[in-house]
Amino acid sequence: MKIRLLCAATALTASLLTGCASFRNAAPGDPLEPVNRGVHSFNSTFDHYLFKPIAKGYDAAVPNPVKRGVSNVFQNASDVQSVVNDALQLKGQKFADDFGRVIINSTVGIGGIFDVATPMGIERGNEDFGQTLGYWGIGSGPYLVLPFLGPSSARDVVGRYADGKIDPISNLSSVPVRNSLMALRVVDTRVSLFPAEALMAQAALDQYTFLRSAYLQRRQSLVLDGKRPKDE
Amino acid sequence: MKILKWVSGALAGVVAASVLSNVAAAQPAPDALVKSLASEVTTVLKNDPAILSNAAKLRDLIETRLIPNFNFQHMTQLAMGRNWGKASPDQQTALTREFQTLLVRTYSGALANFRNNTIDYRPLRMQTTDTDVTVKTVVNQANGQGIPIDYSMEKVADGSWKAYDVVVAGVSLVTNYREEFNSVVRDQGVDALIKQLQAKNR
Repeated sequence: MKIRLLCAATALTASLLTGCASFRNAAPGDPLEPVNRGVHSFNSTFDHYLFKPIAKGYDAAVPNPVKRGVSNVFQNASDVQSVVNDALQLKGQKFADDFGRVIINSTVGIGGIFDVATPMGIERGNEDFGQTLGYWGIGSGPYLVLPFLGPSSARDVVGRYADGKIDPISNLSSVPVRNSLMALRVVDTRVSLFPAEALMAQAALDQYTFLRSAYLQRRQSLVLDGKRPKDE
Repeated sequence: MKILKWVSGALAGVVAASVLSNVAAAQPAPDALVKSLASEVTTVLKNDPAILSNAAKLRDLIETRLIPNFNFQHMTQLAMGRNWGKASPDQQTALTREFQTLLVRTYSGALANFRNNTIDYRPLRMQTTDTDVTVKTVVNQANGQGIPIDYSMEKVADGSWKAYDVVVAGVSLVTNYREEFNSVVRDQGVDALIKQLQAKNR
């Protein structure tokens, strides 16, 4: 815990310094842009030298069916989180679907290793506490780039914390198992980003701006369940 | 970070829906147009998977079939927002050309991710007098996640329909680029933006 705090503090300090060194105006809606940019470049460096090589190694060494099973287990854990947030948003249909998914995948799907609910036509609700806050009218607040974790917002930081309280994996009682699974989840997520990462490198003039816009639009769309406010 | 996943799915879907049949039917309805484009690209990928490793062939496919179905000038104009008026006609032409090249290249790269995906089409409710509609599709990935992809389509002067925005999982391509373009133009001006696009495309 202390080490994590120390890392975060170091990252923030580093980002503050680089942030102040550049002379960019903050964009509207992103008052912390100079700091965020610093964290973004810290994250990119960290990713380049440590995180991505680990994910690549995992991707190359582990057979596909195993990787699929691993992803499914983590998806199942996040479906648990959806169930709670469906309820908090009074979304009956989604609640029934996500609840059914968790029950079916945890039993027939052997602890979530197999996703049998999706072929049955039961869609993932994909809800989290950040969306629940948005649903009840709380705005996203300033855009934030978190050390190691990437794009977020003031609202979604609160959401992430609350979701952690109900996350089946971070609440496992065996510390070594819990930590191993949490590390594996991070690697699993990173591997899933490979194709998109290549695309962003091709598409974006400035990755920071590109990610910020995409993140904020995506979160807004999730809060509205895909219904889109008419273009300005 | 998750955002990258949507973006890739997004672009893959864009490609899919963008390849148009050579046989020009008499001004197909917008949803029929998207559907024929998407099913054509799916077929091409299935019958000739080698095309994915042939950059030139791939680009050719996209350039001859995709471009006629997009209104790139309108896309560029929307992506520029209020800065469009600040650009001279020459700058506008250059911007449109470079933006088109960037999009085409990005799509070519995205196609490789498009194998084994299926596409669902949502029913389109439109009046015969409509000139601006949204065609909704869902690209089903192999992992069971569906990515919604919406095409903003407009009826142009010759009566045909052209796409002017693609919204992937709630992320609008035009809005995304508008923020990028705006920050470059604000800090450095229109010519700097053209130069950056050219450098990107080189």
